[in-house]
Amino acid sequence: MRTQRLALFAGPVVLAGMLVLVVAAAASAGAPAQDPAEISWALNVPQATPTPEIPLESAPPVPPPIAHPGDASSTGCVDCHAKVDKKQEAISEDWRSSIHAKEGVGCADCHGGDPRADQITVGMAQANGYLGVPSRAETVGLCGGCHANAERMRPYQVATDQYSKYFSSVHGQRLLTADDSRVAICIDCHGSHAVKPASDPTADVYPLNIPNLCASCHADADTMQPYGIPTDQFDIYAQSVHGKQLLEEQDLRAPNCASCHGSHAAKPPRSDEVVDVCGKCHTATQALYEESAHALVPAVGPKCWTCHGTHDVSEPTEELFLHEGGVPDYLCATCHSPVDQSLRLEIDQFEDPADRRCDTCHHERSQIFAQVEAIAGAIGDAKTAYDIALSRIGEAAALGMITADADVAAAEAKTGLIRARAAVHTTKLASISELTDETIEKANDAEAIANGKLDESIFRRQAAVVVIAIIILNVLGLMGVRRRLHAKD
Amino acid sequence: MATDTRREERLWGPLEWAESRLHLGPFIAALLHVRIPRDAKTFYLGGITLFLFVIQVITGTLLALYYSPTPGSAYESVLAITSDVEFGWLIRSIHHWAANLMIISLVLHMLRIFLQAAYKFPRELTWIVGGGMFGITILFGFTGYLLPWDQRAYWATTVGTEIAGAVPLIGQPLLLLLRGGPDVTEATLSRFFGIHVLVLPLMLAGLTALHLLFVHQQGLANPKRPEPRPGRPGPDLTTEKTKPFFPDYVLDELIAWYAVMAAIVILASLFPAGLEAKADPLLTPEHIKPEWYFLGIYELLKYVPRDVGIIGPMVLVGIIILLPLLDRNQEVRPRRRPIALACAFVLLVGLGYLTILGGR
Repeated sequence: MRTQRLALFAGPVVLAGMLVLVVAAAASAGAPAQDPAEISWALNVPQATPTPEIPLESAPPVPPPIAHPGDASSTGCVDCHAKVDKKQEAISEDWRSSIHAKEGVGCADCHGGDPRADQITVGMAQANGYLGVPSRAETVGLCGGCHANAERMRPYQVATDQYSKYFSSVHGQRLLTADDSRVAICIDCHGSHAVKPASDPTADVYPLNIPNLCASCHADADTMQPYGIPTDQFDIYAQSVHGKQLLEEQDLRAPNCASCHGSHAAKPPRSDEVVDVCGKCHTATQALYEESAHALVPAVGPKCWTCHGTHDVSEPTEELFLHEGGVPDYLCATCHSPVDQSLRLEIDQFEDPADRRCDTCHHERSQIFAQVEAIAGAIGDAKTAYDIALSRIGEAAALGMITADADVAAAEAKTGLIRARAAVHTTKLASISELTDETIEKANDAEAIANGKLDESIFRRQAAVVVIAIIILNVLGLMGVRRRLHAKD
Repeated sequence: MATDTRREERLWGPLEWAESRLHLGPFIAALLHVRIPRDAKTFYLGGITLFLFVIQVITGTLLALYYSPTPGSAYESVLAITSDVEFGWLIRSIHHWAANLMIISLVLHMLRIFLQAAYKFPRELTWIVGGGMFGITILFGFTGYLLPWDQRAYWATTVGTEIAGAVPLIGQPLLLLLRGGPDVTEATLSRFFGIHVLVLPLMLAGLTALHLLFVHQQGLANPKRPEPRPGRPGPDLTTEKTKPFFPDYVLDELIAWYAVMAAIVILASLFPAGLEAKADPLLTPEHIKPEWYFLGIYELLKYVPRDVGIIGPMVLVGIIILLPLLDRNQEVRPRRRPIALACAFVLLVGLGYLTILGGR
């Protein structure tokens, strides 16, 4: 397939590529490689115009809360419904265990009617405002009636923007514009009767449970079939560094689906939003990225996902720099628009982790390749020095040596390596090399200390042999005395 | 032990000088020049335990010169002893290995006494005092384990004192007494250090003196025949084959000590005493394990109700210490004591199995 596409675009793209190289070479001549002025060539690369956003449909006005007689102490509804059948009993129990029951939100607040009544003909009479089960579209408004009311929510100090956020989400927009009642509404995530606060670890919306909650729809092929979106995100996420940290290590700091897509405002982040989304946690890395040549082409340039993927983010290693054993024959369309050859990186071109390498774009014939290679080499050398130091420390520790001082030096080297790896996001060779040189120096210190420990261990063994020899001589002497003693007897 | 009057030796000059002033000759002669049964098989285990105790006193004193018993500096001082002090690693490693070997030799010594029925008349008190010495040695290990103040030390002591705290009736006061408060803190370290370097050495030295006095007075037991009891016919002791305690037995003991010393040198140089990360009361390690000699009880607590797991071993230790008063059988030959041997076998196999399980 790649070859077929190549045949279509080869001519214009090669010409455009040559033009870019000539412009870049002319703009960069005579200036240091890491100078921002020099990387301004990147701005000369034709950039694709981002697809304009479709304007959002505004959220409908928040309906007023349902007016009804009685208050939180009026329990006429559950008193009867708990006795109707198992299903009604379970619903009553769900409500009793909910945060709503605790905070005085009763059946009539959602269903209308008169909760004071002990007669079905009174309590559930339409004349008394009984509304029955609200439709899915009505439910969002019902929840919003209270939850978008700042005065009502003041005692609980919870946000009141969920209603407006929801209608800005993919879910809410589908509900509004396509009248699609299959999309997720409030109760699909929070439950209808057994509503629990998000801080409750048993709640579906507790951060640890959110991936499974989202997957309950998004991993279901039948549910997703009408929308034509993939259903493997949960499986991919579960194997990612984020998923393992959250689902296996139960680490609440790790991102769940809502961390990147939003919860009430759920929507895939746009390509140009991704840096801010990742930067919410990876603050320092984002700041470094903003300094880079990549950030100079914000609309279409490489973003976090270009190298790290989206749902399948894995532990970054030195492998991300260059393809091992040569670069595959990538199409020009990998990085350029097939229409006008402008620079345009699309997520689907980088779906395969094997394609997420610097030399996918900066191929061997490109001007930047030498810099990429130098950065990869500097990081690789630092990593090698650090690994050697760790290996020597491990050997010394295995021999029972106390390696605390070597560990300190190795920790400093590790800090340097982490900083150098982070500095890769700046794409500035000089900054990276400074940090890798520092790392190598610290790693060499750690290795030297570990080597000293290994030498000390060898000395101890040699000394032990000498001491044992002396002990044997003494024992032999004593055995001689013993023999003479017995000979006398 | 019968005093051996057959040996008379000329003293070395300085000793002659001291003897002319102190007149200790007869006393030392009474201690050394005794005869022991040729059939006695001690395997030198009591003497080895004594030798290891002496090593512990010497190396412990040297370590105490550099050790600082406060949570803020204990770990750093042990790190400095191990890394910076000249031969500090050797002294600490010898102290570490001699402590372990002391418990092993003490257990083997008790086992030898049990198998040879040497705890029976007239040596009941010697056994009971020995039982006390065993308890003190275990307490040595327990209190010494905390002193490096690393993660292993801190959490093993936390678990160990919790076990003590679970003793019915006296558990809570005992836990507070051991820890000096509800948690393992500076107070615990201070009192463990004080107990380890002052209280226990004095107690063990005192009991050792008493134990040796009893041994000297009663002599070594003959594993082939019971001791004659007053008022009852017994074997003719005049026909018993004996050998001199000094120099014959002492010479053999000395060779055994050299062997133990060689073992310590090998262990200390191949497996020097280590040190984990500094104790962190807020960071519970994934696996907490006490010292190997507590592993059996630690494992037992996983399978039986807590009270049974604590009271059971206590009752067992009580039975072992009071064994001479409970076991009225006069027979000393192992083949004629099948029940006692079977009980010991079951106990040893059970304890060994639990220890291996606990060690996994």
